[in-house]
Amino acid sequence: MSASVGLTRYRIVEEDIPSTLWHEIEDRLKRNAFRDIDGSAEERSFGWVSFDNMLDPDFALCPPEKGPYLAFTLRLDTRRIPPAVMKKHLLVAMNEAMQAMREQGKKFVTKEQKAEIRDQVELRLRARTLPIPACFDVIWDTDRQIVSIASTQSKLTELFEELFTHTFGLTLEPLTPYFLALQLIGKDRQAELDEFEPTVFAQGGA
Amino acid sequence: MDLDHAQTVSLMLGQEFLTWLWFASETSSGLFRTKDGEAFSVTVEQKVSVQGGEGEAKETAVCSGPMAELREARMGLATGKKVNKVKVRIEKDEAAWQVLLDAATFTLQGLKTPKVDTKLEEGEDPDARILEKIYLTEKCMAYVDTAYARFLDLRFSPQWKEETTRLRRWLEG
Repeated sequence: MSASVGLTRYRIVEEDIPSTLWHEIEDRLKRNAFRDIDGSAEERSFGWVSFDNMLDPDFALCPPEKGPYLAFTLRLDTRRIPPAVMKKHLLVAMNEAMQAMREQGKKFVTKEQKAEIRDQVELRLRARTLPIPACFDVIWDTDRQIVSIASTQSKLTELFEELFTHTFGLTLEPLTPYFLALQLIGKDRQAELDEFEPTVFAQGGA
Repeated sequence: MDLDHAQTVSLMLGQEFLTWLWFASETSSGLFRTKDGEAFSVTVEQKVSVQGGEGEAKETAVCSGPMAELREARMGLATGKKVNKVKVRIEKDEAAWQVLLDAATFTLQGLKTPKVDTKLEEGEDPDARILEKIYLTEKCMAYVDTAYARFLDLRFSPQWKEETTRLRRWLEG
């Protein structure tokens, strides 16, 4: 819970959520919990952890139920090799390969060999790079079926939408001006929204 | 439902709402009332970004500063641009929220709620501060939604014509 936060809001599309789902929340979160990749060379890993504690993927310290809300956190760990580091190590590996080729009487390294060298260098460097953890709190208002995530980056929110649907079998609709308006004025007036024409405020303007 | 169309309408609606919100915050003291009769105020402050044109001709002007009068942004409006981001301060009694609203998505950026005491008192439920933070965040969303509902009421009513005339006068003044 930081002092300043960015938020994206959603509405759950399904109107009749099966009541059995509420007993399965913790199990479903655990099934899609975050898996640590510190000891491997994987590029990224993401999943749920308990609210405000990135080290608790078992929800042992902080269960998700908070009054009428469900609170949990999306953790995403990513390994990033700095481009300059990659460039240097690729150059070293290429020079070594050229040297080996020359010793075998060959003149150049093939395109396929270059691609393979690049993959090997990347894998080697990834294994030596620590993943950077990032956490995004999620709040689910179960009275109104409104879900918020503490991020406004579209790549992250897309990942969240997919994981949420995969975990709970429910669809999220982002509360953009159009969908929020539909909520507020009612579906029977959707035609007015669909035919919306912008007002010209400036006398000589576009 | 055509999602592309929804996206286009979202941007237009959002820009018009934020433009109107700036106008409303200056001309009617930005006073609003929720359905439950709770009064709060909205003030535009520190940062406004206006945008106009399409494709490669798209132009954005950003005005910011702690005590800025946002004159350049206002001039932008007079030449046909519309507000695409605005920083607002919402006040209710002693409590204050600050948030940057985005026209196209309605995401809330840099939301600052009134301070929550993070120190736990002895015997206090650890969930209490989480619930308080959730409550304060939801309050802010409810206030933004109230202002938006007020805008929609006007926008899709015969009074919109009159409101547009007032808004134009504000721009010229």
